[in-house]
Amino acid sequence: MTAVELEFNFDTAKSFVQEVMERSDQNLLACYQCRRCASGCPVGEETGYVTPDRLIRMLVLGDRESALNNDLVWKCVSCYTCGTRCPNEIQTARVTETLKKISKETHQKPLSPKVAHFHSTFVSSALRWGRLNEIEFINFYEIKNTLTDLKNFRFKAIFSEMIAQGQVGLNMLRRKRLHFGFQSAKGRKEIKRLYQRAKTKQRG
Amino acid sequence: MDIGYYPGCTLHASSSLYDVQSRRVFSEIGITLNEIDDWNCCGATSAGKIDDFLAVAMPARNLGLAEAEGFSEMVIPCSACYSRMLVAQKQLENNIKLKEEINAELSKKVQGTIKVSSILEVLLTPSASDELAAKVTKELKGIQAACYYGCLQTRFPFKIPINDDVENPQGMERILKLLKAKTIDWSYKTDCCGASASVDDETTAFNLMAKIMKDALSRGANCLVVTCPLCQLNLDAYQDKFCKKHGIQDRLPVYFITELIGLALGMSPDELQIDRHFIDGSELLKELDLI
Ligand code: SF4
Ligand code: SF4
Repeated sequence: MTAVELEFNFDTAKSFVQEVMERSDQNLLACYQCRRCASGCPVGEETGYVTPDRLIRMLVLGDRESALNNDLVWKCVSCYTCGTRCPNEIQTARVTETLKKISKETHQKPLSPKVAHFHSTFVSSALRWGRLNEIEFINFYEIKNTLTDLKNFRFKAIFSEMIAQGQVGLNMLRRKRLHFGFQSAKGRKEIKRLYQRAKTKQRG
Repeated sequence: MDIGYYPGCTLHASSSLYDVQSRRVFSEIGITLNEIDDWNCCGATSAGKIDDFLAVAMPARNLGLAEAEGFSEMVIPCSACYSRMLVAQKQLENNIKLKEEINAELSKKVQGTIKVSSILEVLLTPSASDELAAKVTKELKGIQAACYYGCLQTRFPFKIPINDDVENPQGMERILKLLKAKTIDWSYKTDCCGASASVDDETTAFNLMAKIMKDALSRGANCLVVTCPLCQLNLDAYQDKFCKKHGIQDRLPVYFITELIGLALGMSPDELQIDRHFIDGSELLKELDLI
């Protein structure tokens, strides 16, 4: 992939990089573009041009559009390799996580809806019962995917997803790895209160 | 010895074999695992991508519960739960205001005193490993394990010191040595298996797992050994699929560390639920005359 031209906008640059630095708790201004992060990133082959150092560059230059819409934000597996090796201790995974949140809050269309659905469904399932019920979670996740695919007329995608998930499920059943029991935590009211507080904080 | 035990959601569901094995192995070496009463999901790797406050609050409730029950140490076999709990503890320590906010909603407040341990840390304390070495009844001759740690056993998004090398950990190797199993030196032991990408971004996850598999095979491993239930499920359940896609002929069983310890301590395959693997776990053991 060829290098993209980064937009520089002074006004947006300042506020955007500040927001990302505060929320991710990472000092992006310390990055001196040595690219040690890039050489160890396991998803480098998938993300093409956008490596951790370049994502940081986009942020510092205030190119909000490129920073929110690139493969690294959605393909980063939060393996913390870059952050462990960075001489300035910059954890890019915290940055990609922050960008996912900003993307959701500002109602942007995620580059990978499946990744967004996975995490939001996981958290709502875990909050609902206090513990995660795998079958319920996977079902809700697939429903969300199907709705997105329907909206975009991707019928083939729905079909192949159904087949693939059906195969996984059947294999799990055969290996006694599907758990039909139900688990919950009695103290989930406490967790819901914490969730309310989280939501208030988000609005504030 | 009595310690607190946080199993986490998967050990009560698809990876309940790991729960069974852990309890059996620990009791055999004289450590009683006391499950924390009414624990909740730690939020895994998802909570941090949805809300920062929740990502600390969810594990925090468990820390409070365990401390209120009077435990000074809590062991967490699942690498993701272990990592989340340790990181939350660190964040609470660094941020008093956050701690107050979270404690305001908790019936059992977090003090920050409990020691959060991985399964390897507990097994490698001198008393536990002496006991383990003394109790070995079946030496695991012929096992050539590729010990796979993945991400969350050694790397954290905060500065947290651990008792092992971050990029070339040796904890599992040291345990397997006590069981007289061989381990291989290899390059992918702390590389990522893709975690949830196996569900939401299959291409990426399959590429990552194929690399892990190829390196383990080329160095002569006859099995993979893990501590993380998500790594186990990924490398086991999808192995046939990602190997076919990437032209890999051979297959490797993926054992939990507790599975091999249990075997060496004389437990039966039934007791250890070795039949719950996708890539047959008993074939190699039969071939090596271990069962
Ligand atoms: S390793 Fe750190 S300093 Fe170097 S380019 Fe990457 S983020 Fe910047
Ligand atoms: S944490 Fe994300 S950006 Fe950093 S090395 Fe891992 S996959 Fe790459």
